[in-house]
Amino acid sequence: MASSKPLIEELDSTAPMQAENQQGNLSIIVRGFIDMFPLCVAVIPWGILCGSLAIQIGLSPWQAQAMSLFVFAGAAQLAGMQLIGLGSPAMPILSSTFVISSRHLLYSAVFQSYVKNLPLFKRIVFAFFLTDEMFALANAYIAKHKRFCYVYAVASGIAFYVMWNLATLVGIVAGNNIENLQAYGLEFAIAATFIALLVPAIKDKPVLMSVLASGVSVLVLELLAFEYALIASTFVGMFAGYYFARKSSAIMSAALKSEEKKRAVRGEAKQELRDE
Amino acid sequence: MSNDLLIVLITAITFSCRYLFFMKSLPISLSQRVQQLLQYTAPSVLTAMWVPIVFLGHKTEGAAFFHSPFLYAGLITVLASLKIKNTLAVVVVGMGSFLILNWFL
Repeated sequence: MASSKPLIEELDSTAPMQAENQQGNLSIIVRGFIDMFPLCVAVIPWGILCGSLAIQIGLSPWQAQAMSLFVFAGAAQLAGMQLIGLGSPAMPILSSTFVISSRHLLYSAVFQSYVKNLPLFKRIVFAFFLTDEMFALANAYIAKHKRFCYVYAVASGIAFYVMWNLATLVGIVAGNNIENLQAYGLEFAIAATFIALLVPAIKDKPVLMSVLASGVSVLVLELLAFEYALIASTFVGMFAGYYFARKSSAIMSAALKSEEKKRAVRGEAKQELRDE
Repeated sequence: MSNDLLIVLITAITFSCRYLFFMKSLPISLSQRVQQLLQYTAPSVLTAMWVPIVFLGHKTEGAAFFHSPFLYAGLITVLASLKIKNTLAVVVVGMGSFLILNWFL
């Protein structure tokens, strides 16, 4: 993790009020590392799995590490390597990569308003570290502090990147000698962290409905073994939230309108009385 | 196709998906409605990721649903997150209860 610090300082040197911000930035960076910690723990077995699988399907150690260094997408890496292992041609591998990565399009759209006007280098850095985990933390930060924080998001993303690559390295060294790490149930750490980030964000009915709709539909689709369960149920949840937000705002505006009407009627009545 | 080239192409795809909406020259601008829809991305996608672990996690271990440490530890984590404000404390409670339950169940 120490190796990532110079990069952060380099990023901050473009920020105004550098001297005053440095102390604040350092604590934000530490905050990002601490918040990412449980997710780093959860990703260890997946990183090891990725590294050892790469060796098992015949990638060189450098290629195996390069997957984690450059692709940096667990689900896409695992799926891609399984296909390579089966001797698949390139097109199915690339299209499966796109399908699995498509949810990142949504993340990029969500952060567009915060990131789009930053300098090119900052945008590239943000996009490179934009994983599920970084998305979750950056969103929770916005929900809590009512503002977007670039340094926090990128710091947490870098912490996750370092851990992902170290775990991959362990997997590469272990090669075929790994035990069934999934049996330890470490993926529960992901679930626990996401619950802890999600529940405080449920502040109104539309958000609650989006959670319920997404949760029910992902269970149904997973049990049906639907390949695109994750992205499909995300959309179901988004539309549910949108629908209930529109509905409640429609009720609100209807209530406002009827109130206005009553006032108008009363006003007219008064006017009429005065006229008489 | 060589594996090196494949890794380059996979990298290009994953990076493009993450970068697309940060492009200055992107001709698509997100309408008010789409922005409203996107507000619900985080709760929806997080739910779509934790729900299968908690409710279907028993399948990876070959355990029965009502004997699943994933299920009970998940419920404990939800309850903890309602009571405790500190995220890390919630995660510690959740993971701790999972490890204990995993031992007993």
